[in-house]
Amino acid sequence: MLICESLSKHYRSLNGEVKSLDKVDLHVNKGEFLVVRGHSGSGKTTLLLTLGAMLHPTHGRVLLNDADLYGLSRSERTKFRSRSIGFVFQMFHLVPYLNVIDNVLSGVDKTNQDSRAKAENFLQELGLGDRLHHLPNQLSAGEKQRTALARAMAPEPALILADEPTGNLDPENSLEVCTHLKKFQERGGTVIVVTHGDAVNAFADRTIDLKDGTLLSKSSCNDTEVINFDEEQSKKS
Amino acid sequence: MMMLCGLISVTALVTAYLATESAAARETSRVARDLGFNLRILPKETDMDLYWFQGFSDQTMPESTVARLANFEGVFMTYNHLMASLRQKTSIGGGDVILVGVAPTLTSPDKKKRPMGFAIESGTLHLGHQVGERLGLRSGDTLKVGRRDFKVAKVLVEYGTQEDVYVYGTLKDVQVISERPGQINEIKAIDCLCLTSDQDPISILRKELEKMLPEAKVIQDRVQADARARQRQMVQKKFEFLSPFLMVCGAIWVAVLSAMNVRDRRSEIGIWRALGKGGGFIGSMFIGKAVILGLVGGFLGFWIGNLLALNVGPDIFQITAKAIKTEWSYLIGALVLTPLLAAAASFIPAMMAVSQDPADTLRES
Repeated sequence: MLICESLSKHYRSLNGEVKSLDKVDLHVNKGEFLVVRGHSGSGKTTLLLTLGAMLHPTHGRVLLNDADLYGLSRSERTKFRSRSIGFVFQMFHLVPYLNVIDNVLSGVDKTNQDSRAKAENFLQELGLGDRLHHLPNQLSAGEKQRTALARAMAPEPALILADEPTGNLDPENSLEVCTHLKKFQERGGTVIVVTHGDAVNAFADRTIDLKDGTLLSKSSCNDTEVINFDEEQSKKS
Repeated sequence: MMMLCGLISVTALVTAYLATESAAARETSRVARDLGFNLRILPKETDMDLYWFQGFSDQTMPESTVARLANFEGVFMTYNHLMASLRQKTSIGGGDVILVGVAPTLTSPDKKKRPMGFAIESGTLHLGHQVGERLGLRSGDTLKVGRRDFKVAKVLVEYGTQEDVYVYGTLKDVQVISERPGQINEIKAIDCLCLTSDQDPISILRKELEKMLPEAKVIQDRVQADARARQRQMVQKKFEFLSPFLMVCGAIWVAVLSAMNVRDRRSEIGIWRALGKGGGFIGSMFIGKAVILGLVGGFLGFWIGNLLALNVGPDIFQITAKAIKTEWSYLIGALVLTPLLAAAASFIPAMMAVSQDPADTLRES
């Protein structure tokens, strides 16, 4: 479903060229839950943004359902992104002046009553039924992230890309966010999460490690050490 | 909020400035007018030694001369406020006075200027201060001049000039008294060229007049004309420099505020782009906001600027204080230019942000 071939992203800085991604090859199957692990500066966010048609690579290409994302024009890529990809960011990136329901509907056709009803049901499911008309600054971090999750899922994309989705959350909220990502996967969606922690690993089909822009390992869920979520929670607390 | 406050303040300042500029132009015009006529058009054969000695020409010209002058094409580009008069020395109450018959002042029909001087009704006289004092007359009294009784309409204030021994009546009445029907011996005018003496306006005036009225000649009160021209030129030069400067500063201010507003909202652009919204949506959203802010800022700024001008203006422009009023044409300007500038200044940075990868926009915000 998602293939990236020899994907590189280089930046120029005062100290010379920085290779944020260096010839990364990756194949993600439809319906897979992939976790990309790595320390800060390993290039995992760059990988996620490049996979999500948000950042032009220096070299290589990204194919999503056989479409070469960076071979498309900017407007085609924008349309493709709106139809097929949902994003969840560590810093939530909610539109500050839109309330919860409008934030969720910001990526879909607002005039469609069906979309609104679906969004409201989904927000109920996420425990935000009484927060529909609250602004982001009136929400807790967990509520913001659940809103962002609902927004990413509302257009029913094929792929959700999540950048440290539990990075700013307590264990309880982390678990809830991961559970909903898993549910999305179970409905047939593909999930790629980048993280420097281990909290999401328990939900992954596969984890890969990234260091200095290069893939270190490929592993299936079966041969990866699966960390018990409760243990993670107790470590954090 | 910051952008709105900025738009209000810049519109208010520009409106206040333009309102006071227009008041200053009116004030200058009034000051210049109050300086009085600075041109005298006399019959060509006038003996100038005698003229300066007695204060009026010994020759006459037809009353129709003034109408002929006024009817020449473009005459009001050179002259302004044409006033024909007949002056002669006469004796009233045992003393000499100069009897002046004045015709209604002619002004340019296009400029709708208020005629200068005072209106005199037929059968009435306005007495110079000295004449009134000497004869002990007041407003409403009767005075016999020639064979006719006239009502004293007014005794003028003391000017401290030769005019204190003048007696003013209508041209028709004075023509009858002096038995010179249809005759005048002077046309007073204001020089419209507004050239200073070093620019030699009198040569130009004489050349022009020779073509129009070969039977007349023109003399200029150089001191008065110079003062008038210099005052006008000073005000004109000041506004020629300040107005464009202020307009450009205002435009830059609006542009900078709008661009800063877009810059502050780059993360929002990044979010919308990540959600799959294109340049059209984002551009219209930012431009729409700029237009709305421009309209609100322009409207409120116009009123604040007017309040400023109406409150501060009368202390500065005392002669025309009552003429300072709300200039509605500026409201149209404020409601058109402020949103237009705000939209134009928002468009460029918004489109620049849109043309970047959304990840870069989010990262830089």
